Amino acid sequence: MQNSAINRNGLHPPSLTPLSNIHKAKSYDTLRSQAGFGNRVPYPNAYLQEIEKLNREILDSQPKDILQFCANFFARRLELERTELLYTHSIDRKMSGTTFPGRMGANSNPFGAPEKERKTSGIMKVMEEDENDSVASPATSNFSFGGGAPTFTSSFGGDAAGPPSSFKPASTEGFPAHYGMGRRTSVSAESLNPTASANDNWSPPFHPKSADQISRLKKSIEGNFLFSHLDDEQSSQILGALVEKPIPAKDIKVITQGDQGDFFYVVEKGSFDVYVNSTGEIQPGSDGLGTKVATIDAGGSFGELALMYNAPRAATVISAEPSCTLWALDRITFRRILMDSTFQRRRLYESFLEEVPLLSTLTKYERSKIADALETQKFPEGTTIIQEGDVGEAFYLLESGEAEAFKNGTSNPVKHYHKGDYFGELALLDDKPRQASVISKTEVKVATLGKDGFQRLLGPVASIMRRTKYETGVEEIDPLHQK
Amino acid sequence: MKSVSRMATTVIHKASHPLSSSSSSSASANTNTNLPAPNRNHNSEMETSTTTTARSAQQEKEFVAHYANKTRSLKTEEIQEDKRNKALGHSSKRLSVKDFELVRTLGTGTFARVWLVRLANASEEDRDKVFALKVLRKVEVIKLKQVDHVNHERSVLADVAGHPFITTLITSFSDHDSLYMLLDYCPGGEVFSYLRKAKRFDENTARFYAAEIVLIIEFLHEKEGVAYRDLKPENLLLDADGHIKLKRRMNDMGLGAELIGKIGETYTLCGTPEYLAPEVIQSKGHTTAVDWWALGILIYEFITGYPPFWNSNPIEIYKQIVSRSVHFPQEPYISSEAKDIILQFCTVDRSKRLGNISGGAARVKSHAFFKGVQWDEVYYRKYRGPIIPPVRYPGDTQCFDQYPDEKAGREPYNDELKRKWEHHFEDF
Repeated sequence: MQNSAINRNGLHPPSLTPLSNIHKAKSYDTLRSQAGFGNRVPYPNAYLQEIEKLNREILDSQPKDILQFCANFFARRLELERTELLYTHSIDRKMSGTTFPGRMGANSNPFGAPEKERKTSGIMKVMEEDENDSVASPATSNFSFGGGAPTFTSSFGGDAAGPPSSFKPASTEGFPAHYGMGRRTSVSAESLNPTASANDNWSPPFHPKSADQISRLKKSIEGNFLFSHLDDEQSSQILGALVEKPIPAKDIKVITQGDQGDFFYVVEKGSFDVYVNSTGEIQPGSDGLGTKVATIDAGGSFGELALMYNAPRAATVISAEPSCTLWALDRITFRRILMDSTFQRRRLYESFLEEVPLLSTLTKYERSKIADALETQKFPEGTTIIQEGDVGEAFYLLESGEAEAFKNGTSNPVKHYHKGDYFGELALLDDKPRQASVISKTEVKVATLGKDGFQRLLGPVASIMRRTKYETGVEEIDPLHQK
Repeated sequence: MKSVSRMATTVIHKASHPLSSSSSSSASANTNTNLPAPNRNHNSEMETSTTTTARSAQQEKEFVAHYANKTRSLKTEEIQEDKRNKALGHSSKRLSVKDFELVRTLGTGTFARVWLVRLANASEEDRDKVFALKVLRKVEVIKLKQVDHVNHERSVLADVAGHPFITTLITSFSDHDSLYMLLDYCPGGEVFSYLRKAKRFDENTARFYAAEIVLIIEFLHEKEGVAYRDLKPENLLLDADGHIKLKRRMNDMGLGAELIGKIGETYTLCGTPEYLAPEVIQSKGHTTAVDWWALGILIYEFITGYPPFWNSNPIEIYKQIVSRSVHFPQEPYISSEAKDIILQFCTVDRSKRLGNISGGAARVKSHAFFKGVQWDEVYYRKYRGPIIPPVRYPGDTQCFDQYPDEKAGREPYNDELKRKWEHHFEDF
């Protein structure tokens, strides 16, 4: 929570972010000793916390009338503290009924008081409706917690409950700073169908780039969470798909705040200024851009959210000098590259797994779970992937390249492995030492899953192997394909 | 923007027909384009219909009314009976929007509007029976490329109709302009509203809702083979007894994601930023495991009042989700069982994520957080809801927001569109 709070309030000193009370006290103590308060009798912690909250609010609100603001603040805090006391008391009584009785035995109600008691209490069923309270509906996103003085109403199922639409904002004490209390909108990207794409032979666009450009681009995106987990193949497809976009003049809007976003950009040359208008979209007029919040230079990037789904741009980005160059990537291309490669690899793994006799009794659903959990590893030529005599921990599917098995004392390989072959599968079954060593003959790519992972997903292999077609009537029901 | 008056919330019997008021108030309104008023062609079809058809329509109305009777008690056997016989969720070729009286809007989306309705010309005994009628305009559905989606949604809803904690599709029907889904009405509104009002839930309350959701997820994953993919307090409704009903997504903001997608081939990013699983964010191809992740986030939000990963900038949320684990605040107190189940759900490695690992939902149910919970009793709604919504009468809508009337002058569903698309709507 601490990090996020700091990120969010980038402009605030860390000690003013809403940490837990204990943290607050500590940080304030540190501040005091730095300020030379040294060994004097310490202020009460509760006081320090209040002062810190006040500091924070003053920073947030920048009031003109300081005394009035402070007076309001303390009056509100007092009201809040009193109400919270009452609330805590009433919620203990009303919300949960009694303490959690699940711990007391199987017949008690783990959710609270038994039905009969609850019925007679009647405190949850409230008929009152206060029209005046209905202005701030909980279902609208713009009821405000900042600025003015929020009135704390204790009421949850309490005496003044009424409908949830009669709601006054509760205290956000202890909540993340500026936490949005409104309803959250669902997001979604275009629906892409991998089965269809397998048929239409789609291949990602390819725009040639120099080795220099490639390495610069790689450096630009490697730290980005949308790219950091990609494998080499996906990476090179995406680097190839980035298209050059010259921005010939200064003051050209590349993206406009509030517009729908489809592209992600990396700056190849030049620099760009980022403006945010606090209204959420660009406004007409000379200062409609809002405030300049950042400058992005060569190697920087922007607009990444557009790679996930179509959402309004959070800022306006304008070229800050003549003849800039950008690399652009659109969402459909990005998602399609990821989806196709993920989908193809998943199918490949599932078909490999079908060939493993030890796993022949797995249902399709179980196989897809295992395929989901397989991890890709690459080994250079001549690597000992498993060592004879070691305790087996994982099994391997050979995705590409060749490997050979050797037994101690023999110089010729006892077995050759090609694409689609597997080895080390007995490790899933028991803890016996590896019967042979497997060494890569070329560079190889393997998909691997540890025994632990396998058992976590499906339980012990031994019991899976014991299944026969005859006795697996129930287990054969594949929840994905039973219809 | 004219909003529906509060009159509807006070005396349901006196509520005027909202359609007549909206069409008369807009001079430019074309009767053909005013939704969901049935189109003239359709009317004439109805008039020429045979007496047998009329009788069937009457029978279907009675089924609808009878269904409403059952929702009062919702006995176990009745739920199961409905499931076995699949009396619910059928497409009706007899019912029309004229069989219902539209009371007020419960929610809107770009191509859908949900109305509180009751049976038109209802007998004295059936006057109190109310439903939610979701109306989808064919033109909008086509324009937003949601044809497959709405058909899919209808069929999934029909499959799951009868589950105690999922909104029930009673029946569906269509007319010239629109598609209709008749759903049970949950007068309690969203759990979201209660959570924000209470600031946070105590663990018993969180446990109660979590337990019902576990049964929903178990059913969807292990019986139906689908993932929900958008679990959050906003999508949980409360019925009159305070039990969960998983919401029909109202296609909010027109981002028409699948409500429930068949798993296995799920590559569409959809959900809500705070609740997205890391594999969804990183397009790793996701499975039903995303729902268990979201349940961990949900329990956290129930108990603390806010989700574990939060920032005003969604990109920062995603960075947190893929890079760090869930932290717990010092306040409020969170039991070690609750912390453990949250951490086990919110595990990046899907081969370690509770719910996805061997044992599936059964393993979730035996977690210490649910110790003492009698799962059969949860399913059969034997536990009393921790929050009983303040519902004063069956059609009470005080737990819902007010919505403005529908704008007039919508694009008509013309013959050209009809030729091209009508066969796609046959299932409705």
